[in-house]
Amino acid sequence: MGDILGLVGKRLGLGLIILLVISIIIFFMVELLPGDIAQAVLGQGATEENLAALREQMGLNKPAVVRYLDWLSGAVLLDFGTSIVTGAPVVETIGTRFMNTLFLAAYAAVIAVPISIILGVLVALLRNTIFDRAANVVTLSFISSPEFFLGYILILYFAVKWQMFPAISSLSDNMTFLELLERTFLPALTLVLVVMAHMMRMTRAAIINLLASPYIEMARLKGTPPWKVIVKHALPNAWAPIINVVALNLAYLITGVVLVEVVFVYPGIGQALVDSVAKRDFPVVQACCLIFAATFILLNLAADVGAILTNPRLRHPK
Amino acid sequence: MAEQKKEVLLKIRDLKIQGYTDETWIDIIKGVDLTLHRGEVMGLIGESGAGKSTIGAAAMGYARDGTRITDDSSIEFDGMELTTASEGERRALRGSRIAYVAQSAAASFNPAHKLIDQHTEAPLQYRIKKRVEAQEDGVELYRRLRLPNPDEIGFRYPHQVSGGQLQRAMTAMAMSCRPDLIIFDEPTTALDVTTQIEVLAAIRDIVEQFNTAALYITHDLAVVAQMADTIKVLLKGNEVEQAPTEEMLNNPKEDYTKSLWAVRDFTSPQRYRPKDGVPLISVKNVDASYTGGAKVLDDVSFDIYEGMTVAVVGESGSGKSTTARCITGLLPPSKGEILFRGEPFEPDYRKRPREQLRQCQMIYQMADTALNPKVKISEIIGRPAQFYSGLTGAALKNRVDELLDLIELDPSKFYNRYPPELSGGQKQRIGIARALAAEPTFIVCDEVTSALDQLVAEGILRLLDKLQNELKLAYMFITHDLATVRSIADEVVVMQYGKVVEQGPKDDMFKPPHHPYTDLLLSSVPEMDPNWLTTLLEERGVDNVGDAASAKMAEQSK
Amino acid sequence: MFVLIYFVFLTVCFLASAYFNQRTAFMLTFSLFMISMILFIVGGDAALRSVAIGAALLAGAAAVSFGFKEFLVQMADGDAGAFLRGGMMLPVMGVFALLAFASAYLGWGVTEVFITLVVLALILAPMSPDFAKELRTAPLTAAFGMFVIFVVSIMAIYAPLIAPYGEAEVISSAFAPRDESLLLGADQLGRDMFSRVIYGARNTVTLALLGTTLAFILGAMAGLLAATKGGMFDQAMGRTADVIMSIPSLIFALLMLSIFGGSLASPSTSFYLLFGFAIIVGLLFLAAAAEGAMGWVIGAAVMIGAGLAFAAAGTTIFDASEVILILVVAVIYSPRVFRLTRAVAGNVVVMDYIEAAKLRGEGNWYLIRREILPNSTADWGSMVRENATLISFGDPTPLIPAAAIALLTIAVNFVVDWMLFRSSGLKEQ
Repeated sequence: MGDILGLVGKRLGLGLIILLVISIIIFFMVELLPGDIAQAVLGQGATEENLAALREQMGLNKPAVVRYLDWLSGAVLLDFGTSIVTGAPVVETIGTRFMNTLFLAAYAAVIAVPISIILGVLVALLRNTIFDRAANVVTLSFISSPEFFLGYILILYFAVKWQMFPAISSLSDNMTFLELLERTFLPALTLVLVVMAHMMRMTRAAIINLLASPYIEMARLKGTPPWKVIVKHALPNAWAPIINVVALNLAYLITGVVLVEVVFVYPGIGQALVDSVAKRDFPVVQACCLIFAATFILLNLAADVGAILTNPRLRHPK
Repeated sequence: MAEQKKEVLLKIRDLKIQGYTDETWIDIIKGVDLTLHRGEVMGLIGESGAGKSTIGAAAMGYARDGTRITDDSSIEFDGMELTTASEGERRALRGSRIAYVAQSAAASFNPAHKLIDQHTEAPLQYRIKKRVEAQEDGVELYRRLRLPNPDEIGFRYPHQVSGGQLQRAMTAMAMSCRPDLIIFDEPTTALDVTTQIEVLAAIRDIVEQFNTAALYITHDLAVVAQMADTIKVLLKGNEVEQAPTEEMLNNPKEDYTKSLWAVRDFTSPQRYRPKDGVPLISVKNVDASYTGGAKVLDDVSFDIYEGMTVAVVGESGSGKSTTARCITGLLPPSKGEILFRGEPFEPDYRKRPREQLRQCQMIYQMADTALNPKVKISEIIGRPAQFYSGLTGAALKNRVDELLDLIELDPSKFYNRYPPELSGGQKQRIGIARALAAEPTFIVCDEVTSALDQLVAEGILRLLDKLQNELKLAYMFITHDLATVRSIADEVVVMQYGKVVEQGPKDDMFKPPHHPYTDLLLSSVPEMDPNWLTTLLEERGVDNVGDAASAKMAEQSK
Repeated sequence: MFVLIYFVFLTVCFLASAYFNQRTAFMLTFSLFMISMILFIVGGDAALRSVAIGAALLAGAAAVSFGFKEFLVQMADGDAGAFLRGGMMLPVMGVFALLAFASAYLGWGVTEVFITLVVLALILAPMSPDFAKELRTAPLTAAFGMFVIFVVSIMAIYAPLIAPYGEAEVISSAFAPRDESLLLGADQLGRDMFSRVIYGARNTVTLALLGTTLAFILGAMAGLLAATKGGMFDQAMGRTADVIMSIPSLIFALLMLSIFGGSLASPSTSFYLLFGFAIIVGLLFLAAAAEGAMGWVIGAAVMIGAGLAFAAAGTTIFDASEVILILVVAVIYSPRVFRLTRAVAGNVVVMDYIEAAKLRGEGNWYLIRREILPNSTADWGSMVRENATLISFGDPTPLIPAAAIALLTIAVNFVVDWMLFRSSGLKEQ
C-alpha cells in the first residue's frame, strides 16, 4: 500500500507545483494585456490625479511580485478580487457561471461516457467489419470538425430547419429541470459528438491492443467463449487505459466548452472568459484562467492516479 | 513412459498451414503426418521457423492470428475431424480434452486475476467441478507439482510468483480438467538450468500419473530425450524423421538429424595462462551497485590473459553482465578497480580516451537490438574503422570488405544490405565484424549464442575460435550454457548472486571436486541420455535439485 | 414520381448485389433502402430528398476518390518519380524553391510556376511500383483525403489565378444570394465568399503548415535531446512540457492573441518573438551538438546569425498577427511532439546498438542524427492527426469557411489514418 500512496502523493505534489507555475504564467500574461486598469474603470474623461489616486487605491503601484502574491493568497481563499466591469466580487460573477459550465459538461459526460465505452468495445470486437469501418469514418469526421462547425450544423438543422430545440441556450431562474435539459440539449450534443468520437477510438485502440496479449490467446486456448474473453479477461486489464482516456477527454471537455458556449450563447465560464478578455476585465480573466487550468490539471491528475490505481502490479505488490 | 500399444488419440494427415506476410499467403507447414496414442509423449523437435508451435496449435484445431489451415489437411482427434467441425465444437475440446502450456507463463497468465481463479475457470465452465471442489483440486495439483506453499500460492497474483513456479502453475491449470492431450510449447526454454530441472521433473511426473498424452515441443535435444517416448524431427515445415527415443538417439538415419545430434562435438583445445606475464584485463575486488540499490557485485576478482577465453557462467541475476558493464565502463564500480595491462582503466567510459575505448569491444545477445535496423551493413562495420583509424574512401571500403571476408560473408552480397534482411546468425556475424573493426585486444561476448539455434550457434563459436587464433583476441564469454563453456573456454569463472564462487582452468572445473554450486550447475544440464533425469532425481533426491537447492546453498554460505 | 424512381432504383441495386454475391454492395444499398424508408415515413418528401442528396454526394465522393486513386496508381506504376530518387530530389526542389523566392522578390510574376514545380517534385518522388502496391490497398477514405488535400493545395497555390475577385474586394451588397458571378454569395461586408474561401485556403494552409513545422522542430529537438541526455535535463524538459500542456490551448491562444495581436502588435514585437524562438531552438541544438568551448562559440555565432535571418524573413513575409498565430500554434503544439519524440527516442536509446555507439565514444549529435532519427520518423504521422483541429484557430468563422476547414481536417485525418495503419503492420483477419 505504501508504494501506491507514495506514487499518488508524488503526482499530487507535481500537480500542485504545475498549478503554481501556471498561476504565475496566467498572472503575468494578463498583466501584459494592453489597457490600463485605472483608465478602464474611470473612463476616458478621468483626470491624471484621479487616475493616480485610483491606481494607489487598487494597489497597482506595488511591485509585480507583491501583487502576484496578494492575488494568489486571495485566490486560495476563493477571493479573486472585484470585477472592473460590474464592481461586484469576482466570485459572485463567475460562481454561477462555473456551475452552469459544470452542468453542461456533466450533461455531456453522462451521455457520452457510457455510450463511447460500449461502442468502443463493440467496435473492437467487430473490427474490420463494415460496422467498424463506418464507425471509423464517422468518428474521424467528428473529431476533425471544429466544435463550432458542428455547433453551427446542429443549429442549422435542429433549431432552424426542424425547430426541435432552441438555438440560443438562455437560462432563467424559474425553469423546470426538463426545460433546462431541453434548452441545453444542443450545446451538450455538440460536446458529446466530439468527445464521444475521441473516447470511442481510444477505447477501441486500447482493447485491440489488449486482445493481442498472450494471456488472451491463452484464454481462447482454454476454450473460453469470445464474449467471456472480452468481459472477464480483457476488460479488467482495460480499465487503466479506459480511465485514462475518459479523464483526458473530460479535461478536453473543458476547452471545448469555450467555443460551444460562445456559439450557443450559453452563460457559462467560457463565455465569461471571452467577454472579460474583450472588456479587459482583468480580475475576471485571471480567475477564469486559473479555474480552467486547475480543472484541467486536476483531471489529468485523475487520469494518472487512475492508471496507478488500476495497475494490478501496484495494487498487489510482491 | 508407457510401453503398451494404446488406441490412437490424435491423427494428423497431410497438415498444411499457411501464414500471411507481406500481403501474401506462404506455406509454413508443408504436409506433416502425425499419429499420437493415448498416454504417449511425442517430442517435436526442430529449429525455430520449423513450424513446431503452429502444429501444436493446429492439434487443437486453432489457427493463430495471421495463419490458416488449408482445406485438404486432416486433423482427427479421438474420431472427430477438426477441420470440418464447427468452431463451437472445436472450442468445446479446448481446455477440457486438449490443453495448452505456453512458452512464457508470465505473459500467459492474466495479471488481473489470481492464479487459482484462472485455474478453476475451465472446470467451472465445462461444469466438471464446482468452485470449491475445483479449488481443492488445484491445491492438490500444486502439491503434486511440488510448488512451495501449495495451499496459498494459488491465491496470489501472477506477478507475485517466480517464473519457474508460474510454469508449473500453468501445467496444473492445463491439468485441471484432466485432458486427454496436453501440448507443451517450449515450456522451459526461458528458464534457468536449475529452475528447468524442477519443471521437467514435475511435468514428467504428472503426465505419467494421469496417463495423459503429450506433444512436447522444443529445440533442446537433451530435454526432449528426457521427456518423450517418440521423437519427430522437423525442418522448415517438413518432416525429416520420426522414431522412438532410444532408437533416434542411438541410430539417427537422416543427415539433418545426425547433424543436430553432432552439434555438441566442437571443442577448441585448452590454453593455459603464461607463467609470468601481466593479465590483459584484471578485475580486482570489484563491488558495484545500481544507483541507491543493493550490491549487485561483491568482491569480484578474476584475470583474463591475452589470446585466451574466460567463460563467466551463472544464472540470471548472478552478475555476469554487470561485471562486463564494469569492465567496459558503463557502470563504475563502487569499490575496487579494473586494470588493463596493469594500468587502471578510467571507471567511467565517458572519461576514457579513444585508445582505451577501442581495446574493449562488445558483442550482444540479441542481434535485433544490437544492430540499427535503419543503417546499412557497410556503415555499421565501417563506422568504427573510420572513427578509430581515420580510414575513408577506398581504404575504408577495402577494410569493410576485409572484415566481411573475416566473418565469412560475401562482401558483394552484404555490403549494401540492411539488418532486417539478414538471418539471426548473419546478424551476429555482423556484430562480430563491428567489434573487430576497432581492432581491439579484448572482446566481451554477452550470451552471443543464446538466442541462436544449435547449428547456427556452432558456426558462430567456430568463427570466434578461428578469429581468436588469427588475431590473438581475448574473450570474456558470458553464458549460462555449460555445453558452450565446454566447447570454447580456457578458463571458467562461476558466479552466483554477485559473487565469484569458483574459478580455474576448464579441465579442472569439469572434474570433481567442485564447489557445491558448481556441482549443482553442472549436474543440472540435461544430457543426451533418456535416463539422465531419472538418475539425477534418484541420486540426489527431489529436494536437492533445482532452485530449492540453489537457494539452500545461498543461505548456507551467508 | 421521384420517390417511386428512387425506391425502385435502390431495390434493383440490392437485389442485383444479392444475386451477384457482392456482400458489401448489398449491405450498403439495403441499409440505405431501410434508412430512406424510415425517414420518408417520419419526415416525408423533404427528408427523403435530403437523404437522396446525401447518398448521391457520398457516392460521388467515393467515385471521385476511386478515380483519383487509380490515377495515382497509374503514375506510380509508370515509375514517374524514378529520376528524382537517389539524392536528386532535394537539389531539384531547392533550385525551384530558390527560383520561386527570386520570382516573388524580384517580381517576375512566375512564382506560382516554380512553386508548382517544387510541389510536383515532392509528389512525384515517391511514385514507384512499390508505392503503387501500397496505393492499391489504400482504403477509399484515404483516397478521398488525398483528393481533398490535392484540391486545396491547388487552391492555395493558384489562389490569385482562380479567385474571380480579390480577397477584400467589396463587390456587392451584404449577404447577397448566389448567382453566376457570386458562386457562394457574399459575406456580411459584400465580399465574394468564393474568393474568400480560396484565399482562406492559402492563408490557413500556410499558417497551419508553418506553425506545425515550427512546432515539430522545437518539440522534436527537445524530445531527442531529452532522450539522449537524460537525467536532470530530461526531467526539466518534461515538466516544462507538462506545464504548457496543462494550459487549455484555446485559452492560451486567446490570451496570446489578445496580448500580442492588439495594440502591442508591431513589426518589432514580431521580430523579437521570432528571434527568441530561433534562439531557443538554437540553444537546444547546441546542447545536443556542441562539443567543447570552441563548438559552443561557433555554434552561438551561427545561432545568432540564423536567428536574425529567420526573424527578418518572418517579419517581411507575414504581418504581425500572422506571426503571432504561427508562434502560438508552434508553442501549443510542441509539447505533444516533444512527448511523442521523447517516447520513441526513449525506446531507441535503450537499444544495444546505442550502447555500442556510446562505448565507441560517439558524441550526442552523431547518436541523434545517425542512430535515433531514422527510427522515429514513422510515429510523427500520428501527431498530425491528434491536433489537426489546430488549423481552425481564429475567430469563429461563418459556416462555409468552417465547412471547408472541417473538410480539410477530415481529409488529412483520413490520410494519416491510412499511413498509421500501414506502418503498424496490422495483419488482423
